[in-house]
Amino acid sequence: MVGAMHALDIKLLRDFKRLWSQSLAIALVLGCGVMILLTAFGMHRALDDTLTAFYERNAFADIWATADKAPRALVKDIAQMDGVQGVEARIEKYLVLDLPARTKAATGLALSLPESGDLPRLNVPLVRSGRLPDPLASDEVMISEPFAQANGFKIGDRFSALLSGRKRTLVITGTALSPEYVYAIGPGSIMPDDENFGILWLPAPMLSAAFDMAGAFNAVALSLSRDAKPDTVMSAVEALLDPYGGTGAIERDRQNSHAFVSTEIEQLKNMAMILPPIFFGISAFLVNMVIGRIIALERSEIGLLKALGYSDVHIAGHYVLLAALTAVIGIAVGWGVGGFLARAMAAQYAIYFKFPYLIFNVSYDAYAISGFLALLTAAFGALRSALSAARLAPAIAMSPPAPPRFKRSLFDRALGALHPSQPTMMIWRAIIRWPMRAAMSVLGLSLAVAVLISAGFLSGAMDTIVDVAFEQSNREDAVLMFSTERPLSVLEEVRNLPGVLEVEGELMTPVTLRNGHREKALSIVTRGTGATLARAVHRNGRAIDPQGAGLQITTRVAQVLHLVAGDTVEVEFLTGHKETHSLIVSGVVDQFFGLGAYMSREAMARLSRAGQQVSVANVTLDPAHATAFNEKLKTTPAIAGTVRVTDMRTGFQGTIDESISVMNGLFIVVAVLITIGLTYNGARIQLSERARELASLRILGFSRGEVSYILVGETMLLAAAAQPVGWAIGIWISSAMVNSFTSDLYSIPLVLSPATFAQASLIVLAAALGSVLLVRRRIDRLDLVAVMKTRE
Amino acid sequence: MAELIFQTKDVVKTYRTGGTEVRALDGVSLDLFAAELTVLLGPSGSGKSTLLNILGGLDHVTSGLVRFRNLDLSSLNDRALTRYRRDHVGFVFQFYNLVPSLTARENVQMVTDIAPDPMRPEEALELVGMGHRIDHFPAELSGGEQQRVAIARAIAKRPEVLLCDEPTGALDSKTGAHVLEAIREINDTLGATAVIITHNAAIRQMAHRVIRFQDGNISAVETNATRLSPAEIEW
Repeated sequence: MVGAMHALDIKLLRDFKRLWSQSLAIALVLGCGVMILLTAFGMHRALDDTLTAFYERNAFADIWATADKAPRALVKDIAQMDGVQGVEARIEKYLVLDLPARTKAATGLALSLPESGDLPRLNVPLVRSGRLPDPLASDEVMISEPFAQANGFKIGDRFSALLSGRKRTLVITGTALSPEYVYAIGPGSIMPDDENFGILWLPAPMLSAAFDMAGAFNAVALSLSRDAKPDTVMSAVEALLDPYGGTGAIERDRQNSHAFVSTEIEQLKNMAMILPPIFFGISAFLVNMVIGRIIALERSEIGLLKALGYSDVHIAGHYVLLAALTAVIGIAVGWGVGGFLARAMAAQYAIYFKFPYLIFNVSYDAYAISGFLALLTAAFGALRSALSAARLAPAIAMSPPAPPRFKRSLFDRALGALHPSQPTMMIWRAIIRWPMRAAMSVLGLSLAVAVLISAGFLSGAMDTIVDVAFEQSNREDAVLMFSTERPLSVLEEVRNLPGVLEVEGELMTPVTLRNGHREKALSIVTRGTGATLARAVHRNGRAIDPQGAGLQITTRVAQVLHLVAGDTVEVEFLTGHKETHSLIVSGVVDQFFGLGAYMSREAMARLSRAGQQVSVANVTLDPAHATAFNEKLKTTPAIAGTVRVTDMRTGFQGTIDESISVMNGLFIVVAVLITIGLTYNGARIQLSERARELASLRILGFSRGEVSYILVGETMLLAAAAQPVGWAIGIWISSAMVNSFTSDLYSIPLVLSPATFAQASLIVLAAALGSVLLVRRRIDRLDLVAVMKTRE
Repeated sequence: MAELIFQTKDVVKTYRTGGTEVRALDGVSLDLFAAELTVLLGPSGSGKSTLLNILGGLDHVTSGLVRFRNLDLSSLNDRALTRYRRDHVGFVFQFYNLVPSLTARENVQMVTDIAPDPMRPEEALELVGMGHRIDHFPAELSGGEQQRVAIARAIAKRPEVLLCDEPTGALDSKTGAHVLEAIREINDTLGATAVIITHNAAIRQMAHRVIRFQDGNISAVETNATRLSPAEIEW
């Protein structure tokens, strides 16, 4: 005897070799599941570890609070509160920046550094190059690294900033990254724009002198001990800051950067939960189909093995092992690609979010779990057939199987009335004879369609968001932010700026809305009646113009606070007289971005007793005068910042296009693999079962084309039947995605265009046709004579 | 003199199996005539099935000439051979080869749908005595009944040639006789040239001519002065 290999093992390997193309098609589907599981888990873990490490090493705070101007002495009081571990007070101001060789003004968020010249104790900037500014210098600044990179700044470069109306030239001494601005969004923006928005760390004396904040702060961050009660601490801090224009305290979950990053990371985990089960399910079905067929073909061999004395366990194990070999290939592919993708995509994310480093620990448990699941899937798929093989009595197994029983059904009579050709009749009867198999194939293919629809849905949704957010809601070219509320008359001055065509004012009033124990902090937006530049637009495109004394709220606010139109909501103003009023909810607006509430200018003026005010001016510009406008802006002290809506639009569209096309590409690959796995194997099995029949037809004088019709026809009929099912599942998955993506930051609309359905169907039908045509070539090679000579 | 249907001249057919070359036909020359019923006899591997496959357009010759009327079968490509089978040839096999998902009528209809001048499927089934089992699926028929449906399928196109490879091989003698009756009936009424391969030497008594094969060539040709009907044959 050569070697130690058993004959049964040799048969196993030879069978596997013979089945390589079918095994590969299954292995790729299975591998996809393994890959996605590994990638999503790996990325999730890497990003989560990195974020946690960054937060820990750089003392990311637990609570933030702001005020207009609070005395430094309060810091000691806060530090003595129960549960408070660390306190860091600072001055925060938005500045208009004049960057060299740029006409447009940029916005900077200036943060004061401790007077000691040390790093702050909380939210510690991680210095990436250079050094901190000298605490006594009046012209030194450290800037955020992404802002430096986007603008090509080097240490020693200079730019100007408007500090309280005075233009100052600042020298860059260093760059840094901050755990507070992993995802840095400027005021009024919806996504990071590193070129136009940056973080500036400035010596405290410089800022306090410029803004008349000597011995005072307007922002404070706290870290809590493990046993602290955040709500109690926040209430205490709010109460303490209240006399100094306190505007409330927030926890991490409402800190902008953290909210975005943690939502993104959470979504990766969801991805790991939703997609792999689809792949595993389809793989199990494919294994079941293929092993079932092999056992049918090997009936007499099984009988022989049993006659020779092989046990049931031997025989069942033999076929389960055959499936396991396929799983091993799938696992190898999944591990290889997934391991690489996890690292590559985590690195990509680390750049997208401004992480200073990436902690990538290979998660061996993810490898183990994904591998185990893949093996389990294959074994589960093979089990039923393997057991039925083991149960075959040897004498019965060695005699040929009874021909499949077809019976005349009601359906046959209906079909007969249509007088289809005999090949068409054969297609229909096969589907009716094995309804479970047909149904599973339809279901599998419909999942491929659904996957494509859910990808297409996202791009349609984004287009709608862009259309509503920019073309309909925000039609201004730029937003000018005033440093404080101004009377309506300021708009006249804005109108006189060079190049300004239209001006409309807007007031943002920070409030807390309450309904019973539920509450939400947000800003009420107040605009003039009939505003056209910036306006609230309902999903259906209708512009909302708040009338009377009521408050219009967005759907998200209505959901969170359990409010419907006509309800009363308690509104606590966080600025001005800080009164609390009860207002009627006059309507609910369906919007895509954030939390929002709208009120008429007159009603707001009455409530605030401050006359009609604006905090923002929306303008349209004459491009011919853009330079003059920009130059003027850089020297206008009243303006604290600007947002280029045009730039934002381009940036948003660019980012969306990029990520959508990557995702679309990935989903197409996934859908095509599922389709190939199903149709290739399905057609191979059909060919194997029908080889004799098809050869008979060839001998009877049917052409290759006519015989191919039966094979291709059945596959494509199932693929066609899968389309409506896939559309339905796609709609369902899309609406589930709408729900899971909806957060306080944004929501996405369920937009499904006919083109999305058409594209999904075309891709799946084309992949199905391609796979079945691959199998069709085998009809040309049918050995007519041999098939006629032998019984199966 | 009857019309010449098939003419083979020095037909050689070699197969390569593994490393060895097998000479299945070794220079066979033979004429077959219209309305003639010929039985091919011989041991396994003597070449009779190979010849039948070549006459039926299922296989190509290695060398030599095969003519059907004026058609040179040895020069036809795959498409033309398909056309030839469709228009002229009816096959009957040992294992029936009915499509299990089609009823008796539909199995026959499969051929009548594509033949140029077929009879009605019912008519063909009547001819083989299967008129009463027309809507049954193969699984609902006995072996003899299945074979008669297969014959009905072969003759429904009114073929000029009926090629039968061990048509009674899987049947008991009584059922076998029924099947042979059907073949003879077709041969008589439709005037089809019938070629029957068999291991059963008794069947030779129903033929016009008996051709014996040995080692890939014809070893003897006998002409029957009197033919027996299948019912009279004793197996």
